[in-house]
Amino acid sequence: MARVSLKNIVGKKNEINSAVLALMDQLKEATWIEDENGKLLLGNPTETPGSLFPVNLDNEIIGWVKGDENSLTIANLLTYLVQKEAEKKKLGTEVLNLYQELNVIYNFSEQLTQTIDPDVIAQLTLEQAIHSIPSDSGVIVLWNEEKKQLGVPARSGELLFNEEHLRNNPGVLIKIGLSGQSEIITDLSLLKEKGIIENDVHSLIYAAMKVKHRIMGAIILAGKNVEQYSAAHLKLLVTLALQSSTAIESAMLYEKNIREAREREEAMLRIHEVTKKFVPHEFIRSLGKETLTDVKLGDQVEKIVTVLFTDIRDFTTLSEKMTPEENFHFVSSFNARLGPVIRSNNGFINQYLGDSIMAIFPENPEDALRAAVGMQKAVYELNKERKEAGLSSIRAGIGMHTGSLIMGITGDEFRMDAATISDTVNTAARIESLTKYYKSPLLLSDHTLQYLNGQNNFHFRHLGSVKLKGKNNLLSIIECINGFDELQFERKLQTLSQFNEAMSSYHDQQFENALQIFQTILTNDPDDLTAHYFLNNTKKYLREGVPKNWTGAEEMVSK
Amino acid sequence: MEQKILIVDDEAHIRMLIEQTLEELEDEGVEFLTAENGEIALEIIQKENPKLVFLDVMMPKMNGMEVCRRVKKELELKDVFIVLLTAKGQELDRQRGQEVGADVYMTKPFDPEIILSKAKEVLGIE
Repeated sequence: MARVSLKNIVGKKNEINSAVLALMDQLKEATWIEDENGKLLLGNPTETPGSLFPVNLDNEIIGWVKGDENSLTIANLLTYLVQKEAEKKKLGTEVLNLYQELNVIYNFSEQLTQTIDPDVIAQLTLEQAIHSIPSDSGVIVLWNEEKKQLGVPARSGELLFNEEHLRNNPGVLIKIGLSGQSEIITDLSLLKEKGIIENDVHSLIYAAMKVKHRIMGAIILAGKNVEQYSAAHLKLLVTLALQSSTAIESAMLYEKNIREAREREEAMLRIHEVTKKFVPHEFIRSLGKETLTDVKLGDQVEKIVTVLFTDIRDFTTLSEKMTPEENFHFVSSFNARLGPVIRSNNGFINQYLGDSIMAIFPENPEDALRAAVGMQKAVYELNKERKEAGLSSIRAGIGMHTGSLIMGITGDEFRMDAATISDTVNTAARIESLTKYYKSPLLLSDHTLQYLNGQNNFHFRHLGSVKLKGKNNLLSIIECINGFDELQFERKLQTLSQFNEAMSSYHDQQFENALQIFQTILTNDPDDLTAHYFLNNTKKYLREGVPKNWTGAEEMVSK
Repeated sequence: MEQKILIVDDEAHIRMLIEQTLEELEDEGVEFLTAENGEIALEIIQKENPKLVFLDVMMPKMNGMEVCRRVKKELELKDVFIVLLTAKGQELDRQRGQEVGADVYMTKPFDPEIILSKAKEVLGIE
């Protein structure tokens, strides 16, 4: 029972005080009230009291009523009043405790809203638990569903728990209570046996952390003293466990969402990166779009570009000698070498067609020319390696043309492709095939030459004009000699002006002159296959004469 | 001289709780007074001159803010230490509390430990 002082009941000016005074007045003899030490509290004492009666609370005397035998009534009354006061106080203390608990829970709730980190929430919870329920040690264990193991996100106090043993023995924990109950246990033999807790721990108090009916883990506190924990402690721990469970569950869900969102983003980024490798980014950008997903059927743009084709001479014969796998490797390594050259010269590969590559240079024809020269050099390197390996050399032809091009997205709703449609493409392809005809590895059209900046280091030989099959207009064909190896380049450079002069005579049907010059050239440069070609033609015309309406242009009878 | 504490709240259980919290001060000779609304509180303050007043804000007849304003701004009773009590979530009241001259501002549920230590501080005990 709570302590009550008699002074507080009758000593102050209150209702009881007045009532008792009035009662004492009624009595014949004088009556007065003293506390347990004899100090006067109420009334007027006389010399010696006739009788004295105690006022009791819980078998303890807390005061005296002195007077005559009637004082007993007052003593009994006071005893009753004192007892009631004690009961009231006890109730008051209990309510205050509950209020304090309420305050704890309120504050704890607020703290929980400040963080979304599950580990931080666990630590806050354990701190609060140990603050409100004095303990020597505490841990929070959480079951990790993904890893299928027990984690210990928070610990506090002395080292009374062996975490390793704890983690390795989830079964024992389930036995003692991770089953969902919350309890105070003093039978710790099994836990001590397994080395999970130290021997000087006397009792454990734990509360399961649950969300709906799923058990996430538990708060476990350990105490070394006897009777350290009470039912009130257990109630509080259960409340804290409930609050933190919900908060931790939310936090983990939040983390999971963030993680999944990031993974999705990374996957999207990977897809985006990959699509760039299959549909050139430059193509998409030219359409004014940023990503493949922005592109629509019908999107198109018209631009002046240089289209370049390259392919491997006599590939069909070569491939006959190889297995399909060897073929694939061969073409692949060829493409792998040329690709970088194109890209480093502001071009992009529009398509791989078997042994052929189609590239587009949207900025400047000079880019294409530089790329072509680079590609030729790459082929020379390749041939060096092939020779060392005992393989035959390969020859590649490069042709380019500059003109208007429409790049667009064609197809239907379910099958779309990036298409380049225009005469420019066809012409470039035809020019490339002329490399076989003129026995020259690098040809361009006069259109390309026109768009070239005057200041450049490239050297050209004019090879006359052609009338392509199925077309009416004439096209001037030009050879660029920069791609040849050093020796050949020097020779051709030396004979450059002579060659152009010879071509001029040839065009003017001055075949005698042309013949002479071509022969001189060939003396100095016997490997000049193109000169050979025109020499033979000259000889032919000298022998047979020219056809009627000969314009000097080659008539292409095949594509 | 005996020091007095006035507890003003329209809810009986709050009055009782605060008294319970400050119980030990009774042994130091502190007298507890209570009031259940602002009007009565004002009367008692003027009559009994308490050193410390716990004043709830939301009350009928006259609310705590008004009582505080009258005591601090009109009557200018400087020796009266006023603690305003209000429900959580009414943070705007904090500013108003400052305007009417309150000495301390606390939210409910109050922390009993803090109430006790503040009382001891104001009354100069321990």
